[in-house]
Amino acid sequence: MRKKRTAYLLLLPLMGVTALALLACGSVLTQSLGVVPAFGLTEPTLDYYREALTDPAFFSALGVSLRTALLSALAAAALGTALCGALVRLGRDRGPMAYLIRLPILTPHAVTALFAILLLSQTGLLARWARALGLLSEPGAFPQLLFTPSYGGTILAYLWKEIPFVAYFTLALMAGVSRTLGEAAENLGASPLGAFLTVTLPLSLPAVSQAFLIIFLFAFGGYELPLLLGATLPKALPVYAHLAYMHPDLRQRPAAMALYGLILLLSAALAALYGLLTRRLLRRVGGGQ
Amino acid sequence: MKTSLLLRLFLGAAAFCILLPAALLVLWSAAARWSWPNLLPESWSGRTVAELLFGPQNIWPLLGSSVSLGGAASVLSTLIGLLTARAAALYDFPGRGLVRFAGLLPLLIPGTVFAIGIHLVLLRAGLADTAAGVLLVHVMTALPYSISILTDVTAALGCGLEEQAAVLGAGPARGFFAVSLPELTPGILSSMSMAFILSYSQYFTTLIVGGGRVKTLALVLVPYIQGGDRSLASVYALAFTGSALVVFALFETLIRRWQRRGDKL
Repeated sequence: MRKKRTAYLLLLPLMGVTALALLACGSVLTQSLGVVPAFGLTEPTLDYYREALTDPAFFSALGVSLRTALLSALAAAALGTALCGALVRLGRDRGPMAYLIRLPILTPHAVTALFAILLLSQTGLLARWARALGLLSEPGAFPQLLFTPSYGGTILAYLWKEIPFVAYFTLALMAGVSRTLGEAAENLGASPLGAFLTVTLPLSLPAVSQAFLIIFLFAFGGYELPLLLGATLPKALPVYAHLAYMHPDLRQRPAAMALYGLILLLSAALAALYGLLTRRLLRRVGGGQ
Repeated sequence: MKTSLLLRLFLGAAAFCILLPAALLVLWSAAARWSWPNLLPESWSGRTVAELLFGPQNIWPLLGSSVSLGGAASVLSTLIGLLTARAAALYDFPGRGLVRFAGLLPLLIPGTVFAIGIHLVLLRAGLADTAAGVLLVHVMTALPYSISILTDVTAALGCGLEEQAAVLGAGPARGFFAVSLPELTPGILSSMSMAFILSYSQYFTTLIVGGGRVKTLALVLVPYIQGGDRSLASVYALAFTGSALVVFALFETLIRRWQRRGDKL
């Protein structure tokens, strides 16, 4: 191997960027503890966290974000794995279909929100189709998915983006496993479905599990979709935090920072918990390293 | 075979679900009137296109700032990614495991917290509400993807070819530019295209770090969606997604050309 000094020189820009990212988190946490010298606040305190954690509005926002992230990520992981399996099985892991599944990944969240409005609103295309089929006669009979506390539209919009993401993320690994060990299992007499369920799927789980964590954390901290498709009350956690951040009284800043601090700490805790859980599980099914 | 028919139906349904909203966007942009419960617009007009091109939001400066931010972010993120990839894939040094974690760090920090925190840091550095600050945060958002793409291709290439070039008398710079760079080009182009798309579609980071002074296409799109004029929102979304796809297709064509060139040699 080569000289160490060159390696560290090559890594200088990354170190700078990493330092900046850590400094960014540190600044949020410092202000969340009530230390903002520019406003004459210098005494660290946990009051702002206490305030947030005794506010029922915080817990309903947390509930919205957890529920939206969990439901969308679970469904996307399951359907995305199925989509990936279908692509691999039919030999479509390269070519037009592989390009097509990249379209939702490349589509920005704001545009996805517009898609949801055009399709799912009570005068949207699906409601019109339902009327054409004689299933309903007026817009009000179509289930209200947008701007409601159920966050159904937000979840569906996340699914539109995340199912293809899971499939794309898992495709390379699953295609490789299927072409080698999956076919070996079929040669030894396993049915196609049996080979998929007992060999290909378990060995592809590390990629699925990583994809799940990425989309779960993204949806948990995501701003655009719940802003554009969610209810006025309760708000999703990042929307709730941004509202506090925009408060005209700057002395309220530490209260907003405590909310961002909570989003950061909860994300880290959830990621760590997930890491612990999946490491055990993956070892049991034989997919972990 | 029955299962393969089912799987084909499933893929067909997926393709339909992906393409349907895109088709709907085109219909809405060109619709003059499309009232309930009609399945197609009753009349068509070019009103939205006229508003897009000559309306109050001047589209050309917006397009210009979005494209130049995206272009600069794609170059910088790929450059840093390339340096990092070489260190991570070709050198052995204490702390190598940390590099992987550091590369992924901006992905693990929730985007909203990241934007707010960087804004605080840039306020102190005097870079808040400037294009340079926005560029910095876009580069940081794109970097994990660039690092991951470029580390894969660099590790796959290894340093054997460069060592051969060194044995034949080439200096390290020539070894890299004449031997490795052509082989890495497809990876470099896909890192650039990924970083461009990411920068192009940033909303929250641009909003917070740019402080409303730095305007991009993604930034003006959101109020149109909130505004409720479906036709106008659609035409902006179409211009936005369309221009991003043009750039993406350009990069993909370049990658293919380059690979075909390599096959001929």
